[in-house]
Amino acid sequence: MLFYSFFKTLVGQTVTVELKNDLSVVGTLVSVDQFLNIKLDNIKVEHEDQHPHMMSVKNCFIRGSVVRYVHLPPAAIDTALLQDAARRESQQSTATAKA
Amino acid sequence: MADTVTAPITSVEEPLDLVRLCLDEHIYVKLRGDREVRGRLHAFDQHLNLVLGDVEETITTVELDPETKEESVHTTNRKMDMLFVRGDGVILGLIPSILYTAPLPKKLDNHAINLFRPPRERYETPILFDLSKD
Amino acid sequence: MADTVQPKKTPSDFLGAIIGHPVLVKLNSGIIYKGVLACLDGYMNIALEQTEEYANGQLKNKYGDAFIRGNNVLYISAAE
Repeated sequence: MLFYSFFKTLVGQTVTVELKNDLSVVGTLVSVDQFLNIKLDNIKVEHEDQHPHMMSVKNCFIRGSVVRYVHLPPAAIDTALLQDAARRESQQSTATAKA
Repeated sequence: MADTVTAPITSVEEPLDLVRLCLDEHIYVKLRGDREVRGRLHAFDQHLNLVLGDVEETITTVELDPETKEESVHTTNRKMDMLFVRGDGVILGLIPSILYTAPLPKKLDNHAINLFRPPRERYETPILFDLSKD
Repeated sequence: MADTVQPKKTPSDFLGAIIGHPVLVKLNSGIIYKGVLACLDGYMNIALEQTEEYANGQLKNKYGDAFIRGNNVLYISAAE
């Protein structure tokens, strides 16, 4: 759930989602779910000339499993907080498995 | 060097413990599709989803010259400030070896080893968070 | 006779028995890692020490500690 919560804090930010088929989509993060499916608004595809069929698309839903990377705005991220959360979650998941 | 790690000093008894020890460290990750990324590890989960900072990505491509039949290896580099990497692309993670100087495997008694049961007494700190709240 | 010598029974008994020993891990891609098996979990995520990476039988790299995501693992074999 760590990354689900993490992406929820980034709603409203501009992100670039790079897909496994090398398509990169820039847009405003609208929503995310537990599978890390992503909704983007006001999208623009990088190298639009190579993907002319995407020019008229204004918003999209991206299935989480096709994502390779998400480029994030560093200013929107508290890395210390994020590291603490990751540390907690990893210890917590072991603790849960123990119980 | 282990003193620089802010996490409680823990033994490494399962592979993800090793990843946790890499938080805030510069790591190297090998990905599917002949990609490699290097960056500072800010977050991970059990799927190996990652958030890395100050990232450099290297993509390796092999091209075959149709005339000479010789293979030439090309690499392209990209830099990114902050990157989420989806875990299913991860093959290998490398850990800066300064992280622990002590040899990892304590010779465990056979009866103590059960892959599907986590070892006891792993953490010195109490568990503060309860999953049932999620 | 079987009472005196306990044979390895299950795959996880085998894996448990080789923790701390030199192993060879082959990935689906064909790349081979040799190293000392530090630990592994139920997903077959693996932590290796003194890792050597072989591709096409040639030593490509040496690493201190390596983490291998379990889904890439074809097999783990006890070296030696």
